[in-house]
Amino acid sequence: MPQFFTNKRLIILLGSIILLVAMIGFSLRDRDNITWPEKFVKDVTGFGQNIVSKPAGAVESFFGDIRRLRHTYEENEKLRSHLEELAQLESDVARLEKDNAELRKVLEKEKSLADYEPIQATVIARNPDRWYELITIDQGESNGIEPDMAVMTANGLVGKVQSTSKFTSTVQLLSAHDSQNRVSALIQGETTIYGLIEGYDEEKKMLQMTKIPSDSKVKKGQAVTTSGLGGVFPKGLVIGTVTEMVPDEFGLTQTALVEPAASFYDLEHVMVSKREITGVLPEEEDRQQVLVEEEGL
Amino acid sequence: MKKALLPLLIIVLFYSDSVFMIFFPEQAFNGAYIPVPRFFFIGLLFMSVFFDRNTAIKYGFLFGFLFDMFYTGLLGAYFFFFPLIVYITSKLTKWLHSTLPVFLVIVLFDIALLEMMIYGLNVLVQRTALSFEQFAFVRLLAVLVLNGLFYIVFAIPLRNAFVKLKKVFD
Repeated sequence: MPQFFTNKRLIILLGSIILLVAMIGFSLRDRDNITWPEKFVKDVTGFGQNIVSKPAGAVESFFGDIRRLRHTYEENEKLRSHLEELAQLESDVARLEKDNAELRKVLEKEKSLADYEPIQATVIARNPDRWYELITIDQGESNGIEPDMAVMTANGLVGKVQSTSKFTSTVQLLSAHDSQNRVSALIQGETTIYGLIEGYDEEKKMLQMTKIPSDSKVKKGQAVTTSGLGGVFPKGLVIGTVTEMVPDEFGLTQTALVEPAASFYDLEHVMVSKREITGVLPEEEDRQQVLVEEEGL
Repeated sequence: MKKALLPLLIIVLFYSDSVFMIFFPEQAFNGAYIPVPRFFFIGLLFMSVFFDRNTAIKYGFLFGFLFDMFYTGLLGAYFFFFPLIVYITSKLTKWLHSTLPVFLVIVLFDIALLEMMIYGLNVLVQRTALSFEQFAFVRLLAVLVLNGLFYIVFAIPLRNAFVKLKKVFD
């Protein structure tokens, strides 16, 4: 029987295992953004991916359109009935927006957490190994995208930007299994209830909203939106509707199962929201100064 | 000039995984099965057997690294597993005569090995909550079926391509 590993190969094997562990450790570190060599590789690979996936996406959506053609009549009927309501709604929204702006001027608070500027992006790849629920979009730092920004479709929130390079960014979907994947959210109702969107129930296909006070009454069907607290998410992005309340293991808080408004599958076009108020915390240098001053007291 | 066809073929295979994902509806089978394309990996295995093992290992390192950086963000996983499995395959094919049906079994074994190693790694770094039974039913079976089909369709073209390329390089 031939020897499976010679000495030299054994050394190479052991060397690579050490490299493997080091690299995994490096990439699991809690870091704000990826390093510049990674960005460079991402841009180069993303360039090729763009060339490949744009035509493929076009072909795919062409077939999708053909499939949809069959339901055109029913859809048309439905849309026509919506259209009548829409005109009324639109005029209401315009009036309310104007009111809101005027009132804000009176209060001298012209910017709000809900203001954002959407950046359109096309999905160029979905992680083919399907372990991490990551998608890659064709907009990056050069278009003003930064890590932790909210990503949504027309229906609602789908995820947040995990890392950016010059021309691409990677988006982590809300359905990803990652303990750092949290979004501050609120349940709309007579009184606003705050909680955290944290985790995804694979079997029920529901998001879990945790840390809801146990005495709060939540009804089925209430809307869940982002709260705009913490980070760079704008306020008021639709997440979904409450379907079920379950007490948590210690009975101190409740968990709501939230049916996501947007589908996490087969995404083609998404919007990245760039919030107008971002400077919540002082710059890092200023923060240090504050600490020093406190120590001095 | 014809030598440039080798990297070109590998690049096409590399992107074929994600192109498949564009066409494949993710909610097929109601999400009960998650078939993962491993077309690039199959190409790499063909390369190791019908072209040259050491070149395949080098390509495995390079493209494994690209895969890690661009798609998964977990550096090191494919970078390490691709070349390792190519090496194991080259040892296996020395003992087993590599006709295409026998090679199918080897390829499926390799893909199962890769899936299990990646699963193990994900459990280790706590990026998944799947139990092993769930993993075996939801992913492993579907992956083997999908890639088995790919093998049946593309085995002969891939073998011929690499045999021709070998002649060009010799």
